[in-house]
Amino acid sequence: MEIELKEIRDFIAQHPPFDVLSDEVLNNLPKYLTIRYFRQGSTFPDLTVEKKSLYIVRSGAIEIRDQHDQLIDKLAEGDIYLLDERLDEDSNKFNGACVEDTLVYLLGYSDLELLTKQSENFNRQFNQSIDERLRHAVELTQSADMRDLSAMKLEVNALTDRIPVILDATITIQNAAKIMNDEFVSSILVTDDNKLVGLLTDKDIRRRCVAVGLDFNEPISIIMTSDLMTVSEKTLLSEALLLMTRKKINHLPVMKDNAPIGILTTSDIVRHLSTSPTLIATDIYKANSVDALKRISIKLPELQLQLSLSSATAKHIGEVFSSITDSITCRLLELAEEQYGTPPVEYVWLAGGSQARNEQTSHSDQDNALIISEQFKTEYADYFKNLADFVCDGLNECGYVYCPGDAMAKNIQWRQPLSKWQEYFSHWISSPEPKALMLSSIFFDLRPVYGNFFLFEELQNKVLKQTESSEFFISHMVGNALTHQPPLGFFRNFVMVHDDKHKNTLDVKHRGVVPIVDIARVLALDNGLKETNTVDRLDAALACKALSIEMHDNLIDALEYIGSLRIRHQAKQIRAGLSADNYLPIKELSGLEKNHLKDSFSIIKTMHQVFETRYPSSRMR
Amino acid sequence: MMLAKLFGKDYLRKRLLKKTKSSVMREYLSTPFPDNNDSLMNVEIVSLDFETTGLEIERDNVISIGFVDVINLGINLGTSTHHLIATNAKLPENSVVIHQITDNALVNGESIATVLPDLLKHLTGKVLLAHNAKVEVGFLNKMCQQFYGSDFLIPVIDTQYLAKRSFDRKNISYKSAELRMFNLRASLNMPAYKAHNALMDAIATAELFLALVSKISPKNNARLKDVLC
Repeated sequence: MEIELKEIRDFIAQHPPFDVLSDEVLNNLPKYLTIRYFRQGSTFPDLTVEKKSLYIVRSGAIEIRDQHDQLIDKLAEGDIYLLDERLDEDSNKFNGACVEDTLVYLLGYSDLELLTKQSENFNRQFNQSIDERLRHAVELTQSADMRDLSAMKLEVNALTDRIPVILDATITIQNAAKIMNDEFVSSILVTDDNKLVGLLTDKDIRRRCVAVGLDFNEPISIIMTSDLMTVSEKTLLSEALLLMTRKKINHLPVMKDNAPIGILTTSDIVRHLSTSPTLIATDIYKANSVDALKRISIKLPELQLQLSLSSATAKHIGEVFSSITDSITCRLLELAEEQYGTPPVEYVWLAGGSQARNEQTSHSDQDNALIISEQFKTEYADYFKNLADFVCDGLNECGYVYCPGDAMAKNIQWRQPLSKWQEYFSHWISSPEPKALMLSSIFFDLRPVYGNFFLFEELQNKVLKQTESSEFFISHMVGNALTHQPPLGFFRNFVMVHDDKHKNTLDVKHRGVVPIVDIARVLALDNGLKETNTVDRLDAALACKALSIEMHDNLIDALEYIGSLRIRHQAKQIRAGLSADNYLPIKELSGLEKNHLKDSFSIIKTMHQVFETRYPSSRMR
Repeated sequence: MMLAKLFGKDYLRKRLLKKTKSSVMREYLSTPFPDNNDSLMNVEIVSLDFETTGLEIERDNVISIGFVDVINLGINLGTSTHHLIATNAKLPENSVVIHQITDNALVNGESIATVLPDLLKHLTGKVLLAHNAKVEVGFLNKMCQQFYGSDFLIPVIDTQYLAKRSFDRKNISYKSAELRMFNLRASLNMPAYKAHNALMDAIATAELFLALVSKISPKNNARLKDVLC
């Protein structure tokens, strides 16, 4: 290189994918470039003059639009543009225009090929499609996580190193006690016909046999705990502990391929986990007043900060926080029942929105609802009003502020017997008005949290049967999902949020997360899937072939990528003593991150196009 | 200059060719200059910049030469070339600061006697582009007289002249500082280069030229005569 071209070399070297090139290759690079100038308003690229090239924007701005004149990309300083050869025949579908006077560096295809031969990394960047590039980015952040493997991210199999003692249900209590003594274990698993049927602990023998004078020649099936909760070996330790705390159990069988491989005990975990989600969950169940719960929930932002510092994924953080909200809700309901007495008829408390999807962060509104049994009588109305007020007010005290749309059990409209709820849904599905669509993100994402879950299942089964067969409703939902367009042109001075306070920021929740959540919801409702979590919904959609494996993987990667940026941004705010929000300042993004975000947005865009084709009537709306 | 206006530069070239005896000059002058009616797209242009010890052509010396070709209205960096010229003249302090060239570096430079023939060869049949071209043309003329006993001749595009002309045509008054390359580039929202060496300045001039041409002829259909001095 002429040393005098160093300034051009240095400019190129700052911008991905060129940043992965070796110094030697970079030093040679300027010699391969041609500089061109595009006047504001001129067509880009100008294939009448240029051979096919890779373009690097040196200064100025270019907009690329598709055949519907929709903005699909906006290029600014340092951005690259490459006509994809695979899109060759369609490349005339895209047209670009310079929205400012623009200076670009061109690298001809033949020279590009030469470069890709010289650097494997660089080659990878270019031979990868968008989705591969994004996956690579997610993998990179995840491999960074591995270096910092915190207890939060351990799976339960990490603690179940001992093969469990398994005894047949017909064995006598005395024999079982003898074996437990010989094996130095305090708990064993019980099988009947090789099927796991129960769990027996020292405490069971003490309480249900010795203390009550039961004949210890009786079979262990009489005194074992038979209503078993289990976890898979892949369950995160933190989730297992939350489950144990919530269900007030100390032993949890760990399963692999439907066979028990170990028993997880609370003391096992406490030994390994001293992180706060554990302590918080334990504290929640000890809390005897709303004030006590409030004191605990003050710690939640700090917990989120710790989790993001320990590199937990966005998905895991969502699960932990939703689980904590569930615990607080359950505890509030228990306290309410203590105060107002046993409920006169059965009911089920439902979480809505992000809590239902297990996608909450420490900064979330409350969305909830109450289904009351059909045995409901008007004289019970006061009881349920008191109960709902107690819980909703309590949640509000704990920082889960009232839902701005009033979608809470506190509102009598959303505190109704089962049949009334069935009417609601039938109405929403048969005549999807704007209000129903607005509520859809809350009430089509529901999950039972406390009470008789069967009440919810009855409703859900009916609802899914209706949505699955209602093309009319689904096309409205698709139309609604399509209104949440990803911001493909958010770079440079594009003001994505229009009030002054959030100028030059990107609302990652509404522009990034919500579009993917919407896509997953449509897929779930169209295919009768019960899942509420977005990733679970996409998994289920893949299983029933409503989604290609490629699209499935891409959407999950995009969701995790956008989610991780959001988590990082919120962690930064919490650390600075601010309250967390979703407005990501554009200037905090590196060039590579912008590129990955663009990739994520274009995946959403592609899925929207799939929807438009699959549900043609949605476009009329 | 009057003769150039009357007969065109290519007429002067033929006349000069008959007079000159130097083989380097004869070779340079034997290729016709591009036709004034040629489309700018087809003309080969060399953006050239000299760094010198000063602006008095008789007394001062060229200390570095940078150039790059403009073809098809694109700047082809593969052609970019930079020469440091050895000189015995002591550099005045302020030019050291501007050009970031030190006396020491100049001792290791090339001899102008070897660089000049290569430069003339490169310029053969092409158009010279420079900002305030009278410096480059003046020094070339002086050096050709010194080494070959002949005047130097070339069709010239001058970005300073083009900028001045567009101000004049629009009846916009301007200060002379506004015609400096840095200020012109800034007014066209072009990036500011930090480095000042003959090659980067030649590239900066070429970029400025592309910008000015796009204002003169948005559809890239300008002819050479539209931009010549």
